[in-house]
Amino acid sequence: MHRTVPSLPLAPSVKVKLINAGFQVASDLIDMRPLQLCKEVGISQQEAVEVLQMLRDDGQPHQQRAATESLTALDLLHQEQALGSIVTFCSALDDALGGGLPVGKTTEICGAPGVGKTQLCMQLAVDVQIPVCFGGLGGKALYIDTEGSFLVQRVADMAEAAVQHCTLLAEDTEKKIQALEELTVEKILSNIFLVRCHDYVELLAEVYLLPDFLSEHPEVRLVVIDSIAFPFRHDFEDLSQRTRLLNGLAQQLIQLATQHSVAVVLTNQMTTRVSNGQSKLVPALGESWGHAATQRLILHWEGLRRLASLYKSPSQMEATIQYQITVQGFRDAPDEPRPTPATSAVSSPSGNHSKHPRMEDRS
Amino acid sequence: MVILREGICPGVNEEFIKALQSEDIKTVEDFVSCNPEELAQKCSLSYKALVAVRRVLLAQYTAFPVSGADLYEELLSSTAILSTGNPSLDKLLDSGLYTGEITELAGSPGSGKTQVCFSVAVNISHQLKQTVFYIDTKGGMCANRLLQMLQSKTPNMEEQMEALQKIKVLRVFDVFSLLACLQNLRSNGLQKASVGGGSVKALMVDSVSAVLSSMLGGKQNEGMSLLMQVAGELKMIAKDFNIAVLVTNHVTKDGNGHLKAGLGQSWSHGPRTRVLLQRIEGAGTSSLRTATLTKSSRQITGFEERNDLIMDK
Repeated sequence: MHRTVPSLPLAPSVKVKLINAGFQVASDLIDMRPLQLCKEVGISQQEAVEVLQMLRDDGQPHQQRAATESLTALDLLHQEQALGSIVTFCSALDDALGGGLPVGKTTEICGAPGVGKTQLCMQLAVDVQIPVCFGGLGGKALYIDTEGSFLVQRVADMAEAAVQHCTLLAEDTEKKIQALEELTVEKILSNIFLVRCHDYVELLAEVYLLPDFLSEHPEVRLVVIDSIAFPFRHDFEDLSQRTRLLNGLAQQLIQLATQHSVAVVLTNQMTTRVSNGQSKLVPALGESWGHAATQRLILHWEGLRRLASLYKSPSQMEATIQYQITVQGFRDAPDEPRPTPATSAVSSPSGNHSKHPRMEDRS
Repeated sequence: MVILREGICPGVNEEFIKALQSEDIKTVEDFVSCNPEELAQKCSLSYKALVAVRRVLLAQYTAFPVSGADLYEELLSSTAILSTGNPSLDKLLDSGLYTGEITELAGSPGSGKTQVCFSVAVNISHQLKQTVFYIDTKGGMCANRLLQMLQSKTPNMEEQMEALQKIKVLRVFDVFSLLACLQNLRSNGLQKASVGGGSVKALMVDSVSAVLSSMLGGKQNEGMSLLMQVAGELKMIAKDFNIAVLVTNHVTKDGNGHLKAGLGQSWSHGPRTRVLLQRIEGAGTSSLRTATLTKSSRQITGFEERNDLIMDK
């Protein structure tokens, strides 16, 4: 093996002792017995056994393949086409995102309070379950709730609207009618796994347990964390530790998304940044968190309209579209005459619209 | 420090090693730095044998000096300059990416680093018909986008598929897997790829800061070592295989509120050329970006270029 000892995932103190004893390459170590290693290097028996175990695991074929196997871009293209995306039922947003929320990537949804982040997340948890013959993914969803804003009644309303929508779409094909019989509000609700985390430690622990959960439930296609900002914005004295934890978390999430083919959706809050005497609303959790998600969607108000801007994406152009929240859920905005430039020049970030999603904009 | 082991060279067998170990000589370094006469007296080994082994070990493990003129000749004959496909970026980089060097792109989220990497990869695989390795640590690799860029360069499907096959993607998500991947590339991955036709000319890592930033700072004492190891591996790959290495980095704010590339001073010595990408303030959702040269051994820094990074052109 060609791994150098300093690059192995071992405890730093053990590594220092190994290097001082003269071991440079992993192949020097592989033929040693634990007792031998113990005496030569001066580490405890337990540590010696761990070192050799790690080396043996590293040499396993599937581990080696993960590090060395490269896909060509062509293979990746086929994979991406097979993975698909989750529709949001707002066609303008789906177009802007290139079909919907991509599976296998992390998407971050930022917005001021009341603009519709949780509504969108609940809509996605319903939409991921639409059967394959209707253009959906037929998968399950895992909803990690840190704020306590998950309302089952609202999800039931959205589920009912989705079932009705599919009924209208169904032509007289056998498969579709069969799928429709299985698609009921109860079934949809039973396919959403809900986890409630109360602080950041619980959230981190849950993310550590996710790989096992996803292996046991391979039909899960969506993981929602609503919101990731809430547990990290309170009681955190050491901001640099927060940045480190968040970066580590982001890497774990993208690893999950890629290895288990799930779409990961995170919601973030907004904070005010003052620069040059002007204040601007920017996503919370800091500058470096902006690099964490693969795609970033910012929801904001403009007068009474709700807009969604695609701020960062590896494959789509930046775009801003309008949407609305109705009784049925997240939908397209109705066509209306364009407002004159004078009125829409300045967006009002402080538009304090109250959070009553079911009472606004009845379509 | 290489450990003395039997079979390391003819004449070194188990007894030899045991005798040396009783004198507390474990590595090659210890062995060549002590006097063979004294050693012959202290342990029961013959002087002749010791001198012979010493000579062989010195020949095997010494580094030999090379003349500057030879090095220059080698440089001229082996360095290639790869165009990025974007003329104004090429101008900034003094006609393109140089093989044997690391070039870094830094920028805030959404400033276009991944898009530039894509356009360079597409250019090298399609125009120059060479293989490109792309190490993706953030899930930003989107083959659809590569296809879109290729479709705007040529309507021929065969050519598009061929170009896509020349881009090899590796996905790693933490620093230890990244090191394993780089070391594997160095020992046999790159040779295997060049045997298949089309030599490897470029390696991209998007991004280096995603895997390293969680290991730096606080009470962790390993972060810097891992950072230097990554820098070392990338440099060795660039030099030994004549490859242009392109990495992306995040940005932080310095004391005066200006943007600077992340990962600190130690990392800054790794890349030879550094470019900072920024959105243009107040332009709303336009696709224009500015690229500023912040470190270069060939041009004056502070050079700025405006770029339209939506590379459908």
